[in-house]
Amino acid sequence: MSDAYILGIESSCDETAAAVVRSGEQVVSNIVASQIATHQPYGGVVPELASREHLRAIVPVVRQALVEANQDYKSVDAIAVTQGPGLAGALLVGISYAKALAFALDKPLIAVNHLEGHIHAVLLEERQKGNYEQQFPVLALVVSGGHTHLYLAARKGQGWTYENIGHTRDDAAGEAFDKVAKLVGLGYPGGPIVDRLAPHGDATAVKFPPAQIKHRDRRVHRLDNHRKENGGESEVESDRPRFDFSYSGIKTAVLRYVEVHDMQRSIEMRRQTLASIAKPKLEHYLANCDKRTLDLVASFQRAIVEDLVGKTLTAARAYDVATLFVTGGVAANSELRRTFERDGAQEGLPVYFPSRPLSTDNAAMIAAAAYPKFLAKDFAAMDFSAEAGLVLR
Amino acid sequence: MAVTGREMTREITTHSPEETIAFGRTLAELLSPPKLVLLRGDLGAGKTTLVKGIAAGFEAAEEEDVTSPTFTLVHEYRGPRANLYHIDLYRVDTQRELETLGLDDLRSESSVLLIEWGEKFPRFLRERDVEISLERESEDGRRINISD
Repeated sequence: MSDAYILGIESSCDETAAAVVRSGEQVVSNIVASQIATHQPYGGVVPELASREHLRAIVPVVRQALVEANQDYKSVDAIAVTQGPGLAGALLVGISYAKALAFALDKPLIAVNHLEGHIHAVLLEERQKGNYEQQFPVLALVVSGGHTHLYLAARKGQGWTYENIGHTRDDAAGEAFDKVAKLVGLGYPGGPIVDRLAPHGDATAVKFPPAQIKHRDRRVHRLDNHRKENGGESEVESDRPRFDFSYSGIKTAVLRYVEVHDMQRSIEMRRQTLASIAKPKLEHYLANCDKRTLDLVASFQRAIVEDLVGKTLTAARAYDVATLFVTGGVAANSELRRTFERDGAQEGLPVYFPSRPLSTDNAAMIAAAAYPKFLAKDFAAMDFSAEAGLVLR
Repeated sequence: MAVTGREMTREITTHSPEETIAFGRTLAELLSPPKLVLLRGDLGAGKTTLVKGIAAGFEAAEEEDVTSPTFTLVHEYRGPRANLYHIDLYRVDTQRELETLGLDDLRSESSVLLIEWGEKFPRFLRERDVEISLERESEDGRRINISD
């Protein structure tokens, strides 16, 4: 089979992105709107959540992805686009554009699940390094601002199948990072800055109760068929062990800590000072954080990381998996990577992460996840629609 | 329960997340569609926890599958009697961002919109049918106030 160049388009949430990937194994170009010139007049901080922003960005982003790949509209072999999950209005922008391109150019159209994209970001980069062999079963932790999901992945023919064995019952891990950062005056989104500040604090200073799942366990009986018809999540198995997460309690615990220790005034001062600096650097953050705040964010990060790693490795043992993937925006967190590598190695479990640029939302992962579907000729009909609550199976 | 003119308010205190969920289940009747509901309360006040109960009461979702929509902005749960939209405007600050979310498209005879941080926008304060506010009284105690 000769090389296949797939143009991927992603617009499920904040980022408008396009990429060209060769045969699911090499990123030829990878463009994310917030990085390119057309957005610089806005300081690159325009939240892409609005479909109008996707609409504005999609044509230049796709064009740039083709130019950087030395391709043009006619030379690519297929067009892949995120179908869901995500924000319906945002998804529709990518889908409509992909459909129009596929129709006008008479190219195959491939619909991709965003979460499958995150998993394939790992595979893509491993192949790029020459590693084509993954041992199955694979356990994948997809952890981002919107998701904290555990999937067991297996091969089926050319493609992959997935079984969800756990997800957050309330807040996603990345959401907890963002909310805590905002809570202590570090701005939003705050995952990256918490990551950089945490080494400067004492991670053992503040004790958080282990993230408890307070709600009762999943009932054995599943809701009626109504939800199945509507594409709701409804596993067949009910006796398979589940590993759910919960990060709402720790967010509330940080809020309590701030109140009990009377930190509100200094937090407000920090917020104003940092807001007055155009692009605050680490030293600005450090100069505006007292020891108590640094200890708090370090302890918070440690608590989240230990919970994510602990539950994931427990799930890995329960399902006797051979390989672990950790992917999604929070997979860029340094302490999470270090801890997974250390603890995974102790158990003899290989752990794979995407590089940081491919951890967060991007279109290369969409083009990569589309490749097995391209080989299987699993093409989307022209009338397929956005599915905000699309489930990965 | 206090009745003042057309307005009716009622208040309840729950003592655990489970109780908050159980109370949410009872709200499905009060919130028969179409409704626009404002959910008010600080971080950690229990807004998502209450929505778990409401969604379960509508048979639109299992409580463990109802999660925070902060990042994703809108979660949809379809039930036999209503389509529930759990909306979080925490990340939405400007009118322009709000408009492009297209929330008006979600409003229909069969829809119930449950909006967190909707009070940031005056139009929702005007247009809301019901307002539910949650306040933290103690570690697990929550005072829930409903006005319609």
